[in-house]
Amino acid sequence: MILLNWIKRKIKKFKEDRAFKKKLEELRKRDPFRYKNF
Amino acid sequence: MIKLGISAFYHDSAACIVKDGKVIAAAEEERFTGIKHDNRFPVNAIKWCISEAGIHIYNINEVHWYESPEKKDNRISTTFAKKPFRTFFLNRKYKKSKKSQDPKDILESMGYTGKIIYHDHHYSHAAFSYYTSPYDSAAILTVDGVGEWETTTISIGEGNNIQKLISIDFPNSLGMLYSTITAYLGFKPNEGEYKVMGLAPYGNPDIYTDKLLSLFNNTSNKYFIDQSPFTWEYSDKVMFNKKLFKLLRLQPRFPEEEITQNHKDLAASLQKVYEIQFNKLLITAKNITKSNNICIGGGCAYNGVANSIAYKHFDSVYTPFAPSDAGSAIGACLNEKVNISPYLGPSFSDIEVKKEIDKFKSQVNVFKINEDKLINKVARLINGGCIVAWFQGSMEFGARALGNRSILASPTDPKMREKLNYVIKKREGFRPFAPSVTEERYQQFFQMKETSPYMSKVVKTHSKNIPSATHIDGSCRVQTVSKKQNSKFHKLITEIGSQSGIPIVLNTSFNLKDQTITLTPSDAIERYLSSQIDFLIINNYLIQKKK
Repeated sequence: MILLNWIKRKIKKFKEDRAFKKKLEELRKRDPFRYKNF
Repeated sequence: MIKLGISAFYHDSAACIVKDGKVIAAAEEERFTGIKHDNRFPVNAIKWCISEAGIHIYNINEVHWYESPEKKDNRISTTFAKKPFRTFFLNRKYKKSKKSQDPKDILESMGYTGKIIYHDHHYSHAAFSYYTSPYDSAAILTVDGVGEWETTTISIGEGNNIQKLISIDFPNSLGMLYSTITAYLGFKPNEGEYKVMGLAPYGNPDIYTDKLLSLFNNTSNKYFIDQSPFTWEYSDKVMFNKKLFKLLRLQPRFPEEEITQNHKDLAASLQKVYEIQFNKLLITAKNITKSNNICIGGGCAYNGVANSIAYKHFDSVYTPFAPSDAGSAIGACLNEKVNISPYLGPSFSDIEVKKEIDKFKSQVNVFKINEDKLINKVARLINGGCIVAWFQGSMEFGARALGNRSILASPTDPKMREKLNYVIKKREGFRPFAPSVTEERYQQFFQMKETSPYMSKVVKTHSKNIPSATHIDGSCRVQTVSKKQNSKFHKLITEIGSQSGIPIVLNTSFNLKDQTITLTPSDAIERYLSSQIDFLIINNYLIQKKK
């Protein structure tokens, strides 16, 4: 049971990390969305 | 002595003319180009300022540039050198853009060959805040994203002197942190910070505050920010990396996505962290200057909630009408105390207005009414639930509409906020509107120690009668209006009070979605015709759409 929960948590975390990575890539493709400091 | 003040190439380009210590004219470039926060060289603003002052460019004795390009270049080059491979293309892009941004070359092409004096970015902020303040001595706190190296300074102003005491350098920046989380929440940095402030009272600050605070390392007088979750030093695309996500465990929001409770919690936490750090700076400013007065400057001085915290440590708090980079064009020119009004932009005579109205005569009915009757009529319209666009005299300088380019409505109608947000301005429903109140009666309605002529302080209200101007937490970003500051607007609010018992009007800038504040009568009429605003008043002309 403990192992199953651990695996579930790991899968959830993996999915979240992957979703973030996709979002970040999408954000990079869009117009610069940042405060100008250069 | 005629000085031309300029700010450009960062945010909010602007220009001004100062003649013998008096500010004659000032305007932001965005008003002429229609591009919000236009950061290009302010050619149009300069041309208008020169024409308003009745001079030629060769009459100008000195140009005062609001920052030091050399020091800024040093900061950028040093930053890029930390990660030379990662910033290789960015560095090339920067060097290319730098060539076309030399103030000397641009001014020479306009016919100016005289002296150019460069000031430090944060000095220009401090000078604008202090020299336009009512104090003979004061602490001065400036906070923004970044100037050359500095992101935060504490100075003391005594007489006509400003002495810098403490500075905090890039990449440690409260302004950059606020902008990063603004971007993370799906709002545009350097613009959406208002939205984050407006969203904050809907959230629970306990959720992310500790996580964000864990990034700070505070010493007795300064703060340092852990840079590992941020890309401020090496990217011009996004401002954060996966470490920020790992810290927050919240996905960044795209602008088109729904705002969830988590986003509101993050906004609330960010605002709380900002207030905690800002409070520490205020304590430092108090301890080292021992002053009872404080002037606040820099873009972060638009954070009215944080500004009000200053009353915990100081008897009197002053924030100028354009504390961001636009105001620095004026600040750079000042070296002594001045009396200044925020109404420094273009104005239009009745003849000019009539000429413009005539172009639209098939679409509108026009009535020219004497001032007293007009005030009485407009007050009745507002108290009766109408939305009125109010275009008078000289345009305001700075981000706030202070009663010369405003959309006005009754704050007593509970549905007015929704109507203005969704129907007129087509913006997010959570965003609050500011109340303008007569200076004689502000204490009757608001918990305020002193006046707030430039909408720079957020305070609690005593009144339950102004629901449309009250935010969810019972706060309001108040403008107090005196007869001396703006007599016609003061007269209008007084008349509204005589008729309804409440001398308060809901005041928002005269622009529609994604537009800059209205500049000309022609823009005013076009915007009026394309919106659901009920009446338009330009000078003493009352304009109504034909049915």
